[in-house]
Amino acid sequence: MSPTRRTVPFRFRGGLHDPRTATALGRWLGAAVLVCFVTGLVGHVLQEPPDALADRLPPRPVWGYRLTQGVHVAAGIALVPLLLAKLWTVYPRLYVRPAVRSPLHALERLSVAVLVASALLEVFLGLMNTAQWYVWPFSFRRVHWALAWVLTGSLLLHLAVKAPVIAAHWRSRSAGTRALPASGAGDRRSLLLGVGAAVGAVTAVTAGQTFAPLRPLLLLAPRHPDIGPQGLPVNRTAAAAGVTDAAVRDWRLVVDGPRPYTLTLEELAGLTQWEVELPIACVEGWSASARWGGVRLRDLLERAGAPAGARVRVVSLQRRGAYAVTEMGASYARDPLTLLALRVNGETLNRDHGHPARVIAPNRPGVLQTKWVSRLEVL
Amino acid sequence: MTAVRAALGVVGGALLAVGGWLLLFATREGTPPRVAVWLAGAVLAHDLLLAPLVLLAGWALGRLPARPVWRGGLVVAGCLTLVALPVMLRPGPYHTSLLPLDYERSWLLAVSATALVTASIAAAGAAARRLRKKRP
Repeated sequence: MSPTRRTVPFRFRGGLHDPRTATALGRWLGAAVLVCFVTGLVGHVLQEPPDALADRLPPRPVWGYRLTQGVHVAAGIALVPLLLAKLWTVYPRLYVRPAVRSPLHALERLSVAVLVASALLEVFLGLMNTAQWYVWPFSFRRVHWALAWVLTGSLLLHLAVKAPVIAAHWRSRSAGTRALPASGAGDRRSLLLGVGAAVGAVTAVTAGQTFAPLRPLLLLAPRHPDIGPQGLPVNRTAAAAGVTDAAVRDWRLVVDGPRPYTLTLEELAGLTQWEVELPIACVEGWSASARWGGVRLRDLLERAGAPAGARVRVVSLQRRGAYAVTEMGASYARDPLTLLALRVNGETLNRDHGHPARVIAPNRPGVLQTKWVSRLEVL
Repeated sequence: MTAVRAALGVVGGALLAVGGWLLLFATREGTPPRVAVWLAGAVLAHDLLLAPLVLLAGWALGRLPARPVWRGGLVVAGCLTLVALPVMLRPGPYHTSLLPLDYERSWLLAVSATALVTASIAAAGAAARRLRKKRP
C-alpha cells in the first residue's frame, strides 16, 4: 500500500490505510465470507438437492437447517461493517498511479474489481431479500447462488496474490507491521474495536429472529418469531398464494400410489395422530419452534402401498409461487417425525399456516414445508 | 508458502469459473447483462458515494478530543442505519408477520443507545485523563 502520488487531486493523510489494518480486518471478513459460502452451500443442497442426494439427505439433526441458515444470515449481516471497514482501509489503492503497471497488474486489479463488486452486490441482495424487497430485474435465488461462487473464488485468488503481504502483517510483531509507524498501533486498535462493536450491534438487534436468548434485543429484523397467526410467522399467506374458499371447502386429500385413495379432512383426523416439536426455519433467517399435530406421512404412504424407498411428489392447492409442486426424498418421507400436520400448538391450522393440511419435516428449508397439501404422489 | 498460494489460486480460479458458468448459463435469459449493470452500480455507489461520505465524516471529526471513541460510535450507528434501511423503507403492502415492528422507532432507539454509550465512554476517558493529570 504505497502512498498515492500527486497525480490525484487529493491525498489520504489519515492513518490506517495500511496493510496491517487490512490484514486484521481481512481475516474476519474472509472468515465471515467463507462461513456464508459453506452455510449457503448446505442450504442450497437441502433446498435443491442434486438427484443423487435427493433420497439421502439427513433428517437429523432436526435443527440443522435452522442453525446453518441462521448462521448464514447472521454472518451475512456481520459482513456489512466488516466489508465496509475493509474497503475503507484499502480505498486509497483505487487511485494508485500508474493505474496499470503491467498486464499482470491489470489482471490483479481486475480480480479485485470482481471481488469488490460481487461482495457488495451479494451482501446487498441478501440483506434486501431478508426484507423480501426485490428491486432488481433478475432472480434473487439464481444470482445470489452464482455470485457466491464468484465472490468466494475471487476471495481465494486475492488471498493467493496477497499471501506475502498478509504473512508480513499477520501479527503485531511481524516484520511488515514493525516497519509501519508505531504511533498508529493505538489508533488501529480503537478502529478494530469500533468495527467489532458494530458487528456486535448489528448482530444483537437482528439475531433474535432465530436465536431466542437475543429476542429481547430484536429491533431491526424483518420477522419476530412470535408475531403472526397463532403466534408463528408466515411467509406466504393463503391470499398471496391464491388459495380460495371454494378450494378449501371442496378439499380432499388424494394419495396416488399402487393403491390410490382419497380422504376427507374428517377421515384424515380419524387416523392415528402424532405430535412432534419441530422448528420451521426460513431462508430469510428467521425460525420458530412449534408443536405440530397430524398424521405421519409414512403411514399415509404405506396405506397407498408405497415401497420403503419411495420419493413423493407433494402438490399444493396454491396457484401462485414457485413451490406449489415439490418433491420429497425418501429419507424425509419415511422419517417418523415427518407429518402431514392438521394442527399447530394444539389449534387447528390457520389458513395462512396451510389449513387443511401441510407438510412439516425435520431439517428442511421452510419453503419445502408445503402448505395446503391436496395431493401426494408416490414416485 | 508457494504451495499454499498455488492451491489457493487453483481452487479460487475453479470456484470463479463455476460462478461465471452459473451466472452465464444457469440464469434466465437476459440476466447476465443486468447483473453486470448491478455489479458496476454497486461499485460506483460505494466508491463515489458511500466511501467519500465516510472519509468526509472522518475528516470532519478532525482533532476532536476522544476522536477514536466518536469514530467508533459513528461506525456502529452507520452500520445500524444501513441494516435498518431495507426494513424501514420497504414499501407495502405486506401481511401481518412480515416487518411487524415499528422500525423507525427501533432505529431511533438503536442509534440513541449508541450515542449514549459513546458519550459515556468519551466522558469516562476524559475523567480518567484529568485524574491522571492531577496525580502525576
